[in-house]
Amino acid sequence: MTTNDNRRPRGALEAAVMTALWAAQAPMSATEVQHELGGDLAYNTVQTILTRLHEKNAVQRRLDGRRHTYWPVVDAATAAAAQMKAALGERSDRHAVLQQFAASLDEADAALLRQVLAGTERRRR
Amino acid sequence: MTVAVYLPLLLGLPLALAAPWIAARGAPGPAAWALSLASAIAAACSTWSLALLALTMLDDVPPLAALDNHPALELPEPVPGPVAFMAALVLIGGAARLGIDAHRRVTTHRRLRAIGDARQQAEAGMVVADWETPMAVAIPGTARRRGHLLVTTGILRLLDAGERRVVLAHEHAHLVHRHHRLTATAAAAAALNPLLIPVRDAVAYLVERWADEDAAAEVGDRGVAARAVARAALAASGSPASAALGIDGGVVVRRVQALTQPAPTPHCRRLAIPVLLSVILLGVAAATTEAFVHLAQAWL
Repeated sequence: MTTNDNRRPRGALEAAVMTALWAAQAPMSATEVQHELGGDLAYNTVQTILTRLHEKNAVQRRLDGRRHTYWPVVDAATAAAAQMKAALGERSDRHAVLQQFAASLDEADAALLRQVLAGTERRRR
Repeated sequence: MTVAVYLPLLLGLPLALAAPWIAARGAPGPAAWALSLASAIAAACSTWSLALLALTMLDDVPPLAALDNHPALELPEPVPGPVAFMAALVLIGGAARLGIDAHRRVTTHRRLRAIGDARQQAEAGMVVADWETPMAVAIPGTARRRGHLLVTTGILRLLDAGERRVVLAHEHAHLVHRHHRLTATAAAAAALNPLLIPVRDAVAYLVERWADEDAAAEVGDRGVAARAVARAALAASGSPASAALGIDGGVVVRRVQALTQPAPTPHCRRLAIPVLLSVILLGVAAATTEAFVHLAQAWL
């Protein structure tokens, strides 16, 4: 279970936990975070990372019964979004200089991608 | 001055024609490097040729012009005046485009780097923006700080855990391999010599493919990588903010299709084309420089 723990640096683990919390849109327990990350991290590792993130004020937590649940602090992310919109929104040509994950599509391309997606979904089952 | 001085202006063309073919097969890393370096050499040589052509106007500078009309001296008329003038204009145009491109690149990265606090950037290597538009961007570092990722909650909520890992690994690969340098080099070359625009686009495509392959290897599943790219692109195409993106969607389709096929083999023989063209360009540039020096000595 812990094979990946050593391979991934600490920052990458924090990032993985943060992305899981952001994706969830609801408070999560350490067990839920561990499950969401595909179970390739040990429970103790996840718990340690969550505690550290809480100490850094990156996540908030509350006691639900006998366990803590965690959710991300939104203030910084809201501010980041405003700055990002300001930096990118006004000038579309700024996008061209960035290495960003995926760009826009026309209708024919979108149809092709849906086909590919349907193909990979079928193979997965 | 011989016709050789015009050769570097044209040699960008075979490179531009070969670039999409080179980018379409084989491992993306070596191809990205080869094309980026070849485009830099092609742009440097064509710019040098333009500069030499423009410098031949010097014989019209009054003191030298007086010498030129001296009946006792037989000076060669190397380049017709209008050609030299045109070369100067093209040179100025290229310099202006280069300035605009570099300025836009630097200011965009600087503004995005200012987002989030420095400790968070350094420790987690990631800043999250609470914005529904699905985006993930690699922000290159500077001399003093490492690069980091800027991701929106939109893309995190769109994808499952495996796909999110693909996105992070993909953007991380951009940072680790310093892809921004390769793309910036090819973009600068294309700004100086517009014949090289297809080479710039090929390099931009290749670094995305490179990061895709790295991400697929890290996650250990090409199918998950293909799905992550496809789903992010499909979601991005629906949002108004991305409608203005300057990158054509066909690129994403080719990336997804490449990920649905087995990992590429090196295929390094095709890289002989950019290498050979670079060698020819440097040789021609050296020869024309020598011819120009002889000419200048005859004038003075």
